[in-house]
Amino acid sequence: MTMKAIEVRGLTKTYPGGIRAVDQVSFWVGEGEIFGFLGPNGAGKSTTILMLTTLATPTAGSATVMGYDVTTNTDAVRRSLGYVSQDLAVDDSLTGWENLYLQARFYGLTRDEMRRRIPEVLDMVGLTSRARDLVETYSGGMRKRLDIAAGLIHRPKVLFLDEPTLGLDIQTRREIWDYITRLREESGMTIFLTTHYMEEADRLCDRIAIIDRGSIKAVGTPSELKSTLGGDVIVLRFGGTDAGVAEALARIRALPGVRDVARYGDDYRVAVQDGESTLPQFFAATQDGAAPIVRVSINRVTLDDVYLSFTGRALRDEESSREDALQQRIRMRRVRG
Amino acid sequence: MRTRLAADVYSVFWREMKRFWLQKPRIVVSVIQPAIWLGLMGNLMGGLLDKPMAAAVLGTGNYLSFMTAGVMVMTTLFGGVFGGVSIIWDRRLGLLNKMLAAPIARAAIPVGKALAVAVQTSIQVALIALVARLLGVAFVTGPAGVLMAIGIAALFSVIMSSLSLILAARLKSHEALFAVVNFLTMPLMFTSNAMFPTQTMPGWLRSIAAYNPVSYAVRPMRQLVTGGWDWTVLGQDAAVVAAMAALMVILAVLQYRKMVA
Ligand SMILES: Nc1ncnc2c1ncn2[C@@H]1O[C@H](COP(=O)(O)OP(=O)(O)OP(=O)(O)O)[C@@H](O)[C@H]1O
Ligand SMILES: [Mg+2]
Repeated sequence: MTMKAIEVRGLTKTYPGGIRAVDQVSFWVGEGEIFGFLGPNGAGKSTTILMLTTLATPTAGSATVMGYDVTTNTDAVRRSLGYVSQDLAVDDSLTGWENLYLQARFYGLTRDEMRRRIPEVLDMVGLTSRARDLVETYSGGMRKRLDIAAGLIHRPKVLFLDEPTLGLDIQTRREIWDYITRLREESGMTIFLTTHYMEEADRLCDRIAIIDRGSIKAVGTPSELKSTLGGDVIVLRFGGTDAGVAEALARIRALPGVRDVARYGDDYRVAVQDGESTLPQFFAATQDGAAPIVRVSINRVTLDDVYLSFTGRALRDEESSREDALQQRIRMRRVRG
Repeated sequence: MRTRLAADVYSVFWREMKRFWLQKPRIVVSVIQPAIWLGLMGNLMGGLLDKPMAAAVLGTGNYLSFMTAGVMVMTTLFGGVFGGVSIIWDRRLGLLNKMLAAPIARAAIPVGKALAVAVQTSIQVALIALVARLLGVAFVTGPAGVLMAIGIAALFSVIMSSLSLILAARLKSHEALFAVVNFLTMPLMFTSNAMFPTQTMPGWLRSIAAYNPVSYAVRPMRQLVTGGWDWTVLGQDAAVVAAMAALMVILAVLQYRKMVA
């Protein structure tokens, strides 16, 4: 039916030095879809975006944006896309308006188009009253909004947003979610975004790919992904020895309706079909063992659980590499100005 | 296609000039520094000129007149070799990726930046001419000579900034770029005819000075200050500077054409 806005086959990127940042990644994004890449620091999200936006050459595999090949038809690809990096790439030494003017020039907008588009995007991100001030005087959230406005100046067919809400407070984050949903509603733009916030992926995205260590672990709508684990998650804590806990977990795994068991700090999260009817069986199965259940709660399955089950790690536990930490500091310094 | 290249070059140039005007202290320093050089060297070397031999070697009875072209080229050299620094900032701040993700001609990046450095250099050289005039140095070739000197300085700045832009594209860090640039500038300066007449140099140094690109810029400019309209000197040296500038721009464009990020 509809055309595919992005199509990726076996995309791979090995950096000099041998780090395989993206490994045999394949997926597609339909026109008008909001598609999310969900993964921890260093998963390969930005590297994938760099390849799709012609900023990095794939080591292997192929990708198209609006039907144009990203390695052979770079000019057409660049015209089709807007790119908002995770770097807050706005020029401090220009005003907000001048940043947008420059961006409009880069995309070859005519004078008339500029006169229409610049106020339009400024209005959309609520920066009209600050447009004539130097960006130097902007807060982190304002910079991010300006950066997004710049990405929209030429009405791209596909918008790439790399961690659009990283380091922003809850209020600004919600505003940005609003812009993104409004964009899709008003212009039917295809949006590819990366995030490591579960809530963001869950709320905004039509479909999500979970990416970890360069590979895609699962793709689907948020509810499809959640239903792979069943309806509920029972969170357990045991008393007793490690051996006893292992024994208890083995018994629980053997019960009907149990989909997945994942460790989360001191707790174990057990995905089950139906929490209320399964929980009594847990007690029955473990009551004569060396590790009794000492705490329990029943929750709906969240994307967190899906993530945990596909990667074996919790997002928030993820250690960031030194380089990432450094980049984060640079970003935060810029945010604070 | 050609109009797009021109438009993109102008975009890059426009941004660089916006940044330049914000750096008012830098502009002031770039004028004060040569003024100090001229004042200091003029006084230090003034005694030299009591000896008629020295005046003959310098080609003028006034050491300040001799130094003016040297100081102009020195300012141009320093302005030029740091022309690549902005690329390193652009890369670090994500502005380079933003440009490269847009459908702009890659060549526009080095050409626009080199052009901005050339214009900034021209402004500085014009200001130095003014300072020199206040210190009593008049171009014997008059205002037309000043304009031609500015033109040669601008071309010379293109040589240095293109080199710096090529290095910056490869080195990717400030530290590395500064190290290479510092390694280059002092020897370039002191093995040229900028500060001292080549006649007083030992033979080996004189042969280096003869082929040093800095000398090719200083010689015609000095000719314009103290000599006169002698086109055998002016034409030949200006042509060499222009040819070197063209070559460096081509190399820079080739370097940036293959740049993805
Ligand atoms: N230019 C580079 N050279 C070498 N290795 C790199 C480069 N850029 C990224 N990497 C490595 O590739 C891997 C993937 O990095 P990438 O930036 O794509 O991750 P990410 O998912 O965007 O992470 P984050 O959430 O921190 O932005 C990491 O191990 C990173 O260290
Ligand atoms: Mg990233």
